[in-house]
Formats: sequence, structure tokens, C-alpha cells
Amino acid sequence: MNEKLALSDEILLSIQKPERYIGGEVNSVIKDLSDIKIRFAFCFPDVYEIGMSHLGIQILYGMFNEYDDVWCERVYSPWDDLDKVMRRDNIPLFALESQDPVKDFDFLGFTLQYEMCYTNILQVLDLSGIPIYSKDRTWDDPIVIGGGPCTYNPEPIADFFDIFYIGEGETQYRALFDLYEKAKESGMSREDFLINCSKLPGLYIPSLYDISYNQDGTVSAITPLNGAPSVIHKELEKDLSNAYYPMKPVMPFIKVTQDRVVMEVMRGCIRGCRFCQAGQLYRPLRERDVNKLKEYAITLLKNTGYEEISLSSLSTSDYTHLDELLDFLIDYCNEHKVNISLPSLRIDAFSLDVMSKVQDVKKSSLTFAPEAGTQRMRNVINKGLTEEDILRGSHEAFEGGWNKVKLYFMLGLPGETTEDIEGIGDIANKIAVEYFETVPKEKRNGRTIEITASTSFFVPKPFTPFQWASMNTKDEFLEKANITRKGIMSQLNQKHIKYNWHEADASMLEGILARGDRRLSDVIYNVYKRGCIFDAWSEYFKNDIWMEEMEKAGLDPMFYVKRERTKDEILPWDMINCGVTKEFLWREWERSKEGVVSPNCRQSCMGCGGASYGVGICFEPKINN
Amino acid sequence: MIKLRMKFKKHGPIRFLGHLDVMRYVQKAIRRAEIDIKYSEGYSPHQILSFAQPLSVGSTTDGDYMDMTLISCNSPEEVMYKLNGVMNEGIEITGVSVLPEKSENAMTSVAAAEYIISFRDGKAPSFDISKTMEAFMSNDHVMAVKKTKNGEKEIDIKPLIYIWEVIDNNKIHVLLSAGSAANLKAALLIDSIYKFAEEEMKEFAPVFHRLDTYLAGDDDNGHYVQPMIMDAVREDSFSVRDGVKEGKIYV
Ligand code: SF4
Repeated sequence: MNEKLALSDEILLSIQKPERYIGGEVNSVIKDLSDIKIRFAFCFPDVYEIGMSHLGIQILYGMFNEYDDVWCERVYSPWDDLDKVMRRDNIPLFALESQDPVKDFDFLGFTLQYEMCYTNILQVLDLSGIPIYSKDRTWDDPIVIGGGPCTYNPEPIADFFDIFYIGEGETQYRALFDLYEKAKESGMSREDFLINCSKLPGLYIPSLYDISYNQDGTVSAITPLNGAPSVIHKELEKDLSNAYYPMKPVMPFIKVTQDRVVMEVMRGCIRGCRFCQAGQLYRPLRERDVNKLKEYAITLLKNTGYEEISLSSLSTSDYTHLDELLDFLIDYCNEHKVNISLPSLRIDAFSLDVMSKVQDVKKSSLTFAPEAGTQRMRNVINKGLTEEDILRGSHEAFEGGWNKVKLYFMLGLPGETTEDIEGIGDIANKIAVEYFETVPKEKRNGRTIEITASTSFFVPKPFTPFQWASMNTKDEFLEKANITRKGIMSQLNQKHIKYNWHEADASMLEGILARGDRRLSDVIYNVYKRGCIFDAWSEYFKNDIWMEEMEKAGLDPMFYVKRERTKDEILPWDMINCGVTKEFLWREWERSKEGVVSPNCRQSCMGCGGASYGVGICFEPKINN
Repeated sequence: MIKLRMKFKKHGPIRFLGHLDVMRYVQKAIRRAEIDIKYSEGYSPHQILSFAQPLSVGSTTDGDYMDMTLISCNSPEEVMYKLNGVMNEGIEITGVSVLPEKSENAMTSVAAAEYIISFRDGKAPSFDISKTMEAFMSNDHVMAVKKTKNGEKEIDIKPLIYIWEVIDNNKIHVLLSAGSAANLKAALLIDSIYKFAEEEMKEFAPVFHRLDTYLAGDDDNGHYVQPMIMDAVREDSFSVRDGVKEGKIYV
């Protein structure tokens, strides 16, 4: 048994949740170092409970550990309390399995799921004793590599990474490991190794690109150096059904966000919602084989002992064999006392029937994400959910016994008018009216309708049709939240409607980082030095420091946030190709301005460019044509 | 239906699991081992499983217990082997017994617990442990402040200390009253000894190891306590010393 712990008893007993740091979880992998050529530390730069809930790490962790020559371990951001102790006592950050210092590893990989974790990357590097900037590292340091959605515009953090892996991790890591082993054997320099990496598909080596800027701050040129490719194409798993899937996910001792078996049913999305980055990044849609999924479900439940299983994808209702899969799961799970947690399915007769079988109708709520208050605005964002859909779905649900409805909207969408914002209250009110008409008083059993409307602030993201759009400022956001609130208050049924909205400061910073350029790297380092970490946690987020450091660096937040980009502008992420073409995105941007909706990939093909991968939905017969 | 009591030990890094997490851990292990355990009714059924006497985070044990109700099993031993097959190193079932169907559950039958209390390197008290214990126990009453749900209460802990000895001059070996009726936490005992010796305890000085957990009974010789299962009782436990029959210690 690995009795070794990196932290003393005294420390473990004086911090919150010591179980975050002791490793040894069920299905975690221990290997004999004498058989290992590559030690890989995989980091989710946030607290353990969040990081352990991420499916992507579980997939790559399992896959890497299938390789005989590789030992992959996990690292998370030490929570604030331990962070302080480690700095005070000079304790180097360690990986959970071996409890060995991260600095001794060959690779330190980060999965980058949201922009607000960027200072935590620096925390992890710093606590590990690894130089923050790529240029200062030697062979004594691990190769620092990043993957995940934020790497599609990695420029704000470009200076901190040796490599970015663009796309799905299943495809190129083996080649990278082989290259690394060869480089080490042949005594190659670190610089030459990175140059060689740039020849592998999907690997972006930021140090091999020179970025120059115009007077106005926009990018004037992206110049590849040392033969690096001018464009890096996203990597994509072409045979999802036969790709590696982890049958023994690591199981945390403590309760985490995803405390259940998570089964990915498909990757990609057929719906081209124009605000949604994931919907573009994972194109084209590929489904997993339904029979395989049934087997996975049984094996995963057996190997973990979890009492709950959840299906994961961007839009599970679109999975072709959903009814077959759910029929199977409902039977199996009933027999084995397993709960099925359904992701937000599109509300219709089918999903209501399924939901009534797997959850307590009285306790659960219906979820709709109209995203915008009027049909006009929903056409602009290409969200194919109509008021009629919502009212019909609600009606059926009320008949089935539901009485709680959750509604999700965005504020600050391109071209939004006061009328669009006020529409939020209207929809909520109409749902309440629907309830009172559907369920007569004597059938309400003392219950009544509860509606919760939540708004988030829209942040334009790279590789979406809105990547050129102007984003609202904090004041505009707050004004709009106010209009929404007033709009709800003025409704007849306002006492049945609750309204929540998000912080505006954090959305602004997210907007800056999402479409930012390389000049932000120094800002991120400077705010980190002034104590910023865990920016994704509102109680730790210090907006003032960020704004001060941007000003010191001579960078204007409005340049990143407010400015509508022109068609010919070189975008900071133009060296990346995510599969959909810039031309397609521009066409969609223009259509959105005209309020024209686009069909989904199952209805007809919009020629986004995804078909170049030669797989998936692009090659299936279309329904409407 | 069959009711089983299992004895388990816990050592190594897993000692940092909180009580609730140990329970969650065991629930999943039972599922992995495909034990035919009984579930409660309702929308979120839970296993019929109960644990005796929570152990504080950071402590190790050779004698903790849980009771479970099964719908069926081939043999109690098989359940034990199956469970050990799916557990991490560091936690292990060491004994099993079948309970009468109408028995009290593990939690409510606890009557005593046996500990070895040692001190972390460099954190031992400066006083002589043997002499101090001698003097401490020679008083008729030993008053200590116990924290309860309704605030603080002064109680006499002397009658709750059944047996004590000092081993190797630096460890305290005790059998303490436990359970819902009169519980004496090992930590409170240590606090009281320091107070008696008028010394400030260094932070995180004591290390607690539970040797066993006892239930109570009565026979012709009087009232006794006895390990909940006599399997895997450690050699140095009071309950297997010379002259102790069936692990019975009369108190
Ligand atoms: S090429 Fe056509 S079918 Fe394929 S992902 Fe793009 S729009 Fe959809």
C-alpha cells in the first residue's frame, strides 16, 4: 500500500476536506516507476470536487494508463486554505497517486474548461516550482500542455504553455509520447523537441508564432517560425463508438459535483445556436453505438457501485436511439436500484413520459432554455424553441403533475431591444396562465405554480457567428437585468415568478479573456502576483485588481468587449481551425442580423466545413430534403 | 432475510475519511461486490446499513463495526470475502457474525471502546505519563467539561474509565465507556490529563488508535463488556489477556 502522503498529519487535520489531497481513491492507478518512461500529471485547475466531475480527464486518464510506458496521475488546485500552508511551508505541489512533486513529471497537462480558471493555472505552476513562462523552462521542468475548449483561443495564456493540443484528446497523444521518448533518448534540445511537435497534427506551439499588432491594437500578422504550420487543424475522433472509454472511472471519497456514472452518448451537436461555442467546436455530430452504450452502462455501474447514472451530450434529445437506450436503462436501473438522472431533455410527450418514470414529479422541475424573450430574438440566435413549444410542453407537464418550471435566458444578445427583454416576463406569465387554465383549483392539492427565470449575460466566444459581435458593458447588463425584473414585476402572476441574475463583473472579464490576445498573458501574471486565484468563485474574484492591471498594461477592456470586429480583421485565434470555416461563421452572422434561422444538420447541411472530417451527421440522409 | 455484523479495520491514508464518507464508500463497495442487500422503499431507496460509534478523522482502527440486512447470501464468510475483494487497501473486513433478526443495531449496542493513545514525534508531553496517570486516577472523582448539544456540562469521567495502563512509558492504553448512555471520548480524556498536569497540549499531539468496540451483557458473574465480534481481536487487547474468558470484562 502507498502509505506515503505529501502532507503531514498536522496539515491534513487542520485544513478542510483532507480527502481532496490523499489520493488512493477507488480505481485510481498506481504503477511501478521502474516500468515507466513518461509521468503525466493531469490537472484541472480548480478545486477537487469540480475537477473530479469532469469526464474528459477520466477518459484521458484511463487511456494514458492503458499505455505500459505511461503513468498518468491527477492534480487539482489546492483550495485556499492549503494554498496558504504550502506557500508558508514551501511544500511543492504533488500529484495525488504517488504524492510525488509535479515538478518531477515529464508532462503537466491542463484541461481548460473556462476562462475564469486562468489564474489557477499559474497557481499550479507556481506551487509546483515550475517557471510560469514557457520561455524560462528547461528539461528540468515538465512539458506544459493545455487542452479543452479554451485552447481554441489560447492566446491570453499563450506565454505560459509549451504546447496546446487542439481538439479531441483521443488521437494524437500516443504520437506525442513517442516523440518525447525519442527526443529524450537522442538528447534533443527542448526547443527542437517543440519544433518537432509542431509537425504533429493538432499541436499548436505558441512560442513558434510571432504576433504583431496594428496601431489600433488589432493583430496585424501571425507569423509562424521554424517551419511551424500557418494553421493548426482541430483533431477529431472519427470512430467514436470504438474509441477508448473509461470503464473504471476514479471515484472520489467525498461528494463531488458529478457523483454518478457519466456516459457520453454522442459528441457534437446538430443545432447551430449562434451563441454556443461548444456547438461549433465539436462538429460534426457523432453518435455512439447504442448497444455499446448499454454494455458500458452495465459495466460502469458494476465497476463503480454508483447509485446513479447520467447521460451526457450537448443535446441528448437528439440522440437517435434515445428511446431504446432509455427503455433499457429504466429496466436495468429499476432492478438494480439505480437512479437515472436525466440531462435537460427537450420537453415533449416522450421526455415527460420518461421523466415521470425516473423521478418524483412533485419534487422535480421542468427546464426550458428559450434563451431570449421574443421569437424575433430567438430567430437571431437560431434557437429553435418557440413559445408554442414551451406552452404545449408546460401544458402536458402540468397535466402530468409538475408544477415547477425553470427558465433560462441570456441578456445582451446582439441586436437586443427592450421589447425582447420584456418578453422574458411575458413568457413566464403565460406559463403561469397555462397552469391555472390546465389545472383546476380542486386538483391543485394546495400546490401552485412556481416559476424561476434566470438570466446570464451573453459573452461572445471565438468560433461562433457572434465572434465579431459587440458585447454589452457592465452598466448595460445591469440596466437590462433591471428591465427584466421590472418586466416580471408588472406581470399579473408576478408573485409566482422568481428572478435570478448573474454577476456582471465576472462576465466582463470572461469576455475580455475569451476574445483576448497574447498581450493579456502579462496581465494574468500580474493579477496572480497580487493574489488573484479562484476567479470563478465570486467570493474570491477581485475585479478591481484585474482592471487596474489592464490599465497599467495600457490595455482597454472596451477594446476586447465592446468593439464589433470587421470581416477582414485578423482575429487573435486565426491560426486555429476548429473545423467550421470563417466563411460559414460570417454567413451565419449575416443571417442572424436578418433574423433568418438556419436548419439543423439533420434537416439539411449548411456547409459549415465539418464534412471535411469525413464522418458523422454530414454523411447521413437529411430529413427535409 | 439475514442480519450480519461485520468488523473492519482502517489504517493508512484512508484514516482521513470522515464518517459519512466511510459510509458512502462502503455503500458503493457493497454494490460493487453485488451483495444482495435489502433496500428501503421509495423514490431513492437506501441500503439497510448502520455503523457503530463514529471515529474521528485521522484516527485508525482495528475494531469498527457495521450491521447490514441482506435478502440472501450463501454464507456470511462469502460476503466478507466478496467485500474485501472490492475494497481499497487500508480498509478490510476482519470478522463477521450473524445477528438474531430482532437484535439492536450496531449504533445502539455500543457500550465501550478500547484505545491506544500515542503522541506524534516531538509532541509528547513533558510530564511523566505513568506518574501523571497514577496520580490522575488516584482521585475519587475526575471532573471534566463535556460539550453536549445543550452546551457544556461538568461530569465525573472516572467511572467511565474501565481499565487503563501506560505502555512503553509513552502510550496510554484504555478501555472507556462508550455509546449513547455514557460516552467518554478519548480526546476528552487526554485533554483532562493535560489539564490535571497543568500543561498546554501541543496542537495535534495525540494519535488515536481504536483497538475494538464493545457491547454490554449480564451473566451470573455480573455486568460485563465484550468485543462486538471476537474474531480478529488484537493480542494486546484487554479482552484477550490472561484470565479473560470469551473476551468478557466485568465492569
Ligand atoms: S458540414 Fe453540414 S452536416 Fe456537417 S456539421 Fe457542417 S452543417 Fe452539419
